[in-house]
Amino acid sequence: MLRVSAQTTKTDINLQGIIGNEEAASIGILYGAELMRFAEALALGDDKALDLARQSLRDVAGETVLVDAAGVAANFQRMVRIADSVGIPVDDMQGELGQSVRQELSLHEFRSSENSQP
Amino acid sequence: MTFDYDRSIRPDIAIAHRAYWQKLAKPGSWFTSAQRIAIAAASREAAGCEFCITRKRALSPYTLAGEHVSSVDLSATVVDAVHRVMTDQTRITQQFIENNGSELSVPAYVELVGVVVAMISIDEFHRGMGLPLETLPDPKPGEPSHYLPPQAEQGTGFVPMIPIDGATGLESDLWSPGRTANVVRALSLVPDAVRDWRELGDTQYLSFESMGNFDQPKGRSINRMQIELVAGRVSSINECFY
Repeated sequence: MLRVSAQTTKTDINLQGIIGNEEAASIGILYGAELMRFAEALALGDDKALDLARQSLRDVAGETVLVDAAGVAANFQRMVRIADSVGIPVDDMQGELGQSVRQELSLHEFRSSENSQP
Repeated sequence: MTFDYDRSIRPDIAIAHRAYWQKLAKPGSWFTSAQRIAIAAASREAAGCEFCITRKRALSPYTLAGEHVSSVDLSATVVDAVHRVMTDQTRITQQFIENNGSELSVPAYVELVGVVVAMISIDEFHRGMGLPLETLPDPKPGEPSHYLPPQAEQGTGFVPMIPIDGATGLESDLWSPGRTANVVRALSLVPDAVRDWRELGDTQYLSFESMGNFDQPKGRSINRMQIELVAGRVSSINECFY
């Protein structure tokens, strides 16, 4: 979805932000590093890091951005559990875009990739 | 009033969270109101469960014996399923779901997942914002409906689901014809779990209708790339291939 949204808006981004590269997260995405750190701290369950990341995001981007980011992060804490708790496969494993993203981010190393094997 | 947020938080978020609290307090398809609220409480206890921490480190999550931190009135089987969904979801297998016997049928497992994931989305929003968790609602009387959508079938994932073209009859509101995805159908053995999924997702992330629009989402202060960066980072840390 990140790559599609970047293509749609003709923005150069670097997907390595998804796997924690702070510099990459900033390319083409306003507050990218702060948003990435906030999402990371929430998902890792690290309350101390979350306090810092929340304040950092609030300082640079403001309260409304923090609220929207918290909503999205919370939603995806849920989505990943829906997908893995019932073992659903990826809808379209053959799509070129999806294949290139999975390759670039080495997603096949995740255990849950087994749910999408033919 | 529940979810009495200050003005910085969009009103639609409070409305969605409040609406879920009301549904949580009603009997579901397979659990009573008290059981649903106990599942919600168990989902909160899982976060600090020492046994879950130990099991997460173990090579095999199905051979280790131990006891979960639990103060709720649920069977050990149900508590274990809640904790697995919360803390070790990538190692859940079809065999685990099907081997819980009469203590946790497959449809009941799907409802359990629905409650746990709704709870995590609401509680994690609070944690993200640095807010205290909302007090759980009081249970209401009534019995589970035991409703099963007749068109559900096995074939995608570990549990039966409504097929892509099966959102018909009582389930016609679940998705528009041809416009669905496996993650939408995932909990459709318990149709209300899909309805809960949609209502919370509409406000926390994006509505179904706007997911295909990659311009600035209406009513959001972050653009689609910012949204997907956050979504992607959370999914990556959770090692979600989907």
